[in-house]
Amino acid sequence: MSRRLPQIVCLLFGLIMFTLYFLDHPTAKQINTLILVDYWQIIFAFTLVVGVISFIRNHVTAISRGNDRLYRLLSLFGVVLMPILALIWGIKGDSPFMWVFENVQVPLQSTVFSLLAFFVASAAFRGFHARSGPAAVLLIAAFLTILSRSSLEGLLPDFIPDIAVWVRNNPSMAARRAILIGIGLGSLTTSLRVILGIERTWLGGEK
Amino acid sequence: MAISTITAGLLTLAILSFLYRDNPIYKVAESLLVGVSIGYFLVITWSTTLMDLLFIPLFSEHKISLVIPFILGLLMFGRFFKGTSHISRIAIAVLIGSGAGAAIPAMLNARTLQQISATIQPILLESGWLDISAIVVIAGVLSTLAYFYFSREHTGSFGWVAKGGTYFLMAFCGTTFGYTVMSRMSTFIGRMEFLLSDFLHLTQ
Amino acid sequence: MTKITSRHYVFAGLFAVVTVSMMLNYSPDTVVSAETQKMYDFVESLPAGSTLIISFDHEASSLPEIRPLALAVLRHAFRNDIKLIGTALLSEGTGVGYRLMQQTANEFNKSYGVDYVYLGFKPQYIAAILSMGESISRTYPVDYLGKTYSEHPMLKDIDTYNDIAGVISIADGSLTTHWIEYGNARFGVRISAALTAAMVTTYDPYLSSGQLEAIVGGLRGAAEYEKLLNIGGGGKRGMLAQTASHLYVLILVIAGNVMYFRRRSSGRGNT
Repeated sequence: MSRRLPQIVCLLFGLIMFTLYFLDHPTAKQINTLILVDYWQIIFAFTLVVGVISFIRNHVTAISRGNDRLYRLLSLFGVVLMPILALIWGIKGDSPFMWVFENVQVPLQSTVFSLLAFFVASAAFRGFHARSGPAAVLLIAAFLTILSRSSLEGLLPDFIPDIAVWVRNNPSMAARRAILIGIGLGSLTTSLRVILGIERTWLGGEK
Repeated sequence: MAISTITAGLLTLAILSFLYRDNPIYKVAESLLVGVSIGYFLVITWSTTLMDLLFIPLFSEHKISLVIPFILGLLMFGRFFKGTSHISRIAIAVLIGSGAGAAIPAMLNARTLQQISATIQPILLESGWLDISAIVVIAGVLSTLAYFYFSREHTGSFGWVAKGGTYFLMAFCGTTFGYTVMSRMSTFIGRMEFLLSDFLHLTQ
Repeated sequence: MTKITSRHYVFAGLFAVVTVSMMLNYSPDTVVSAETQKMYDFVESLPAGSTLIISFDHEASSLPEIRPLALAVLRHAFRNDIKLIGTALLSEGTGVGYRLMQQTANEFNKSYGVDYVYLGFKPQYIAAILSMGESISRTYPVDYLGKTYSEHPMLKDIDTYNDIAGVISIADGSLTTHWIEYGNARFGVRISAALTAAMVTTYDPYLSSGQLEAIVGGLRGAAEYEKLLNIGGGGKRGMLAQTASHLYVLILVIAGNVMYFRRRSSGRGNT
């Protein structure tokens, strides 16, 4: 029963949501909104809270075992600090909560991301070699794109940006489109398998 | 200089120190980032969803219909205890079922049929010339699909078509790499702009 | 002591190239691409008083790239007296979006609730997009500032996608895909996007099929948009550094290949 009931609920919600896609009747719209806002979003928000609690539990356990104590304590400090700031001063406008977001989280996160510029440059030097036919195509396409998206218009012959645009809009787009179609068909069949109870991995291994 | 600029500047430098090697200053900044990000995420989710869509309507406006999603949400906490972890499956079933049900028409219509439809274009122009671009797109889509079709061995003429697909894929990966270079450089330039102008006052 | 490797030299080179080019304080001219022009024309074609949803579907990590793009699009919309509804489908976009809208609204003397409203974040993007198609007021009973939906004069006659001119998704990932596949395919709302450059090619098939109205991408896209608006901004300021860093990467690619082929011809390279 611990597996059968969730499967029935999954089938029921799957069929309802599938059917509602094709219905524009006001009652159908009300049911759709009810499921989307009152069920889907609210339950999803609870799963996010569960994830955060899980993170805290995991860190507390690791700290009690003495693993990376300082760093984990700092992470926990951050997790606890934000709700405290939000509770005392709120989250809007010029609150301390927003101050931490704008002056701690945003610079840290964007700088971590900016490190990728260095690794991309390093990869371009160490691994971007024309070892074979396809690798040469990769190299040429990348070279043309990088060159054409620099502000060198006056210095470059006109045909270089034109070729780069053509490559992007035709062979490159065609490959991406095929990937999209493949993912679309894959998602479609997986969704059907989930609703019909053929795909049950989401239930986990326990009985 | 404002305390906010000093804080942001020092944290930026702490992260950039990773370029030399992994070090304790970087790890401190990284750990702080993980914690603050999760804290921010928790607060925003709590205030904009659980408060606005559940707790205020349920407890202040007495919208009784919200009792069911509230209970379903609480079932998720069953995961923390061994004996009750299975009850969270019911709440997960609502998410999985709704997602799968909504995805079927969307995937079929927007991602598959409309994309196939956009591929099937006239290849002979009004002028009598062949539209090379349209032919390239059709060839690219078909050969790339062949490359990802693993139910048949990639030998003979099918193998040649699939091999052609790799060239189209490489054109896509190369173009994407080019744009990724642009993207990553932009992010770094953005951080340097902050460091050089706001933090160090070296540029205007 | 860490041994200095070729990787460190590559890093130091990039650092030097970007720093020096930024200190030169020079902005090269950029030619506007057809893609950016299309995006500009889309916003330009909207009559004054029409309403757009601007969705901040990005994380804080991409803010340095997203910021000039978002500011350019917001300035264009406010300049043309288009009313804006701000939303966020990723939590980190929430704070960023509010700040950017507030900043640009102040530049154009726009009033909150009359010219723009910031509704904020809702989780599970598919559910949020679909439910806004049925009822925006039901999805967002209160805005980011805690005011009820009905309090805002500009939202009086707006409740579904039928009441708005389109959505501009400012994104650094795949969220625009969901706007296309659920918002556009189900409800027919026009979708455009301001994207980080890394995501531009992902959306080419949608642009080609017409499911996506227009896109503007990356710092270069921001610079082009600023040129069309005849204003300065982060895009224009960063163009010299962007060009210099691109050339640096191209030099690295050439140098890497020269070394690789030399090694291969001498029988030391792995093929």
